[in-house]
Amino acid sequence: MGMRSMRCLLSVLLVMLAGLSFADMRPVRIGISKIVAHPALDALEQGVQDGLRESWPNAVFDLQNANGDLSTAASIAQKFRAQKVDLAVGIATPTSQALVNLLRDQPVIYCAVTDPVDAGLVDSYDQGGDNVTGYSDMTPVAEQIDFLLRVRPMKRLGHIYASGEANAVRLAEIARRVCEARGIEFVESTVANSAEVRQAIQAIIRRVDGVYLSNDNTVFAALPAVSEVCMRHRVPLVTADPSSARNIPVLAAWGFDYYRMGLATGRLAGEVLSGTPTADIPTQYMKDPSDMELLVNLDVAAMLGVEIPADLLEQASILIKNGQVTEVR
Amino acid sequence: MIEGIFVEGLIYGIMALGVFFTFRILNFPDLTVDGSFPLGAAVMAACLAGGAGIVWGLSLAVIAGWLAGAVTAVIHNRLKVPHLLAGILTMTMLYSINIRIMGNRANLPLVRTDTLFSMVTGVFPGLDPSWVLLIFFLLLVLLIKLLLDLFFLTDMGLIFGALGNNEQMVVSAGVNPATYKVIGVGISNALVALSGALVAQYQGFADVNLGLGMVVFGLAAVMIGEFLIPSNRIWVLTLRVLLGAILYKAILYLGRYYGYAIHMTPNDLKLISGLLIIAALMLTRRGQKGGKGLFS
Repeated sequence: MGMRSMRCLLSVLLVMLAGLSFADMRPVRIGISKIVAHPALDALEQGVQDGLRESWPNAVFDLQNANGDLSTAASIAQKFRAQKVDLAVGIATPTSQALVNLLRDQPVIYCAVTDPVDAGLVDSYDQGGDNVTGYSDMTPVAEQIDFLLRVRPMKRLGHIYASGEANAVRLAEIARRVCEARGIEFVESTVANSAEVRQAIQAIIRRVDGVYLSNDNTVFAALPAVSEVCMRHRVPLVTADPSSARNIPVLAAWGFDYYRMGLATGRLAGEVLSGTPTADIPTQYMKDPSDMELLVNLDVAAMLGVEIPADLLEQASILIKNGQVTEVR
Repeated sequence: MIEGIFVEGLIYGIMALGVFFTFRILNFPDLTVDGSFPLGAAVMAACLAGGAGIVWGLSLAVIAGWLAGAVTAVIHNRLKVPHLLAGILTMTMLYSINIRIMGNRANLPLVRTDTLFSMVTGVFPGLDPSWVLLIFFLLLVLLIKLLLDLFFLTDMGLIFGALGNNEQMVVSAGVNPATYKVIGVGISNALVALSGALVAQYQGFADVNLGLGMVVFGLAAVMIGEFLIPSNRIWVLTLRVLLGAILYKAILYLGRYYGYAIHMTPNDLKLISGLLIIAALMLTRRGQKGGKGLFS
């Protein structure tokens, strides 16, 4: 194959591009734009599909993933616009922002966005936007921190978060305010990537009585390092992600079941497809106790020498004892 | 879809022109790009959020980009460190600076603010906005390309060309190469930051992680362009960078559209883009040197 023929081939490619047209013959087409492949987000994506199929059994899904590459968030939105999907779902903040910015005529449902108002997706929490609504994954920061305080009275709480993740920055702000309200000192440390996490926890571990981690992909990638340093210094660690706490020792994890959040998002998308105006749907939260998971690791509690109050133990949905994971409810 | 590819290719093409300037004209492989691209986005977003307006945003983004490039060149000149290290140092520092510029945030939304895009499409309300944008960016990018072409024909531009070819010759002609590197790398990153400022408005947000993989995109555009049209006339050189950027975007789009037909997932796109650059490099080498290429 010579240079000339390669050039011809590329020219043909360009012409082919120009001739692309999309015959719309299928029932409902749903585009899902995910920021990165990640266990929680993958579960969410699966949930969205299952939730939507309940009311729209013949929905066709176009699953796209930006691989953490933010410049492709817009390419995916363009693709959905060109293919005239009936509805688009954005998983995480930047992908949802790109969808809302580029899709003017199709409804956009966001999920796994901590603060949709702060992210500029909607103007207020109590009503949806024009063609925009969705689920926030605002974690119960106050409850998570209060859990720690119930287990062991403390004066200083440590927190590590990624300065490059919008969700994490917002949650850190909320955690700071919760600590101020409780009169405890908030000791924070930020990282730019997962490799810095061990250093960050080592830097603050001697100055804290407990450590709290919120939803933060960058930090959770290095959770084993945080857990190890906390265990070595006998400092209780509470996180917002029960799924990673199943195999990495943390005292307790209190968070969402992301698959259920996906289901709820999918059902919401189904309602919007059926004609419910998005403006009538305020930002949704996972409020139901059954949507929440509380994991308590009794092995870690024994090692730290802390007693978990009985009422908290009753709320637990997953217990770890002698290395065995048991689902309580 | 086709207008989407062209608009994206053109906007990122401005960044590719900047990469072309450092890599091909100055012979200065510059990694500042991964930091100066989000710098432009951050400055633009901060200006729009602060109510300073579009013109100020674009102007300040360009100035900030120029400064970032100048810092890289100064580190390289003064401390006698390699180009790559100087760029990496600036890029690393820009991460913190970009977060500061956006008011200690990682991400600034522009979804609900007036941007250049909403302004341009608002001028012709009766027409399809995506085609209006395409025409507008075609004109804008051609204007930038034309200015660059004219710049390379001035005395200063010719010195830049000579500097990349043979630094010693420029020194013996009584020109200080250090000064020119500061100006040149500055201009390159000003273009990159301008591209970043436009991308932020196009996407609807500025984010500190927007620069990931930008150098790779710029290089891919340059190399695919070189494969497309062999030439040594400056106006063709800049044109083929833009064509390379559009074609590269198009190929990535095709991967997204039809990849499923060959069981490709979106995760494979990075691999495809890497292989694509390697293929373009091999073919171009073969074209230049008559050596053994990919399809001989």
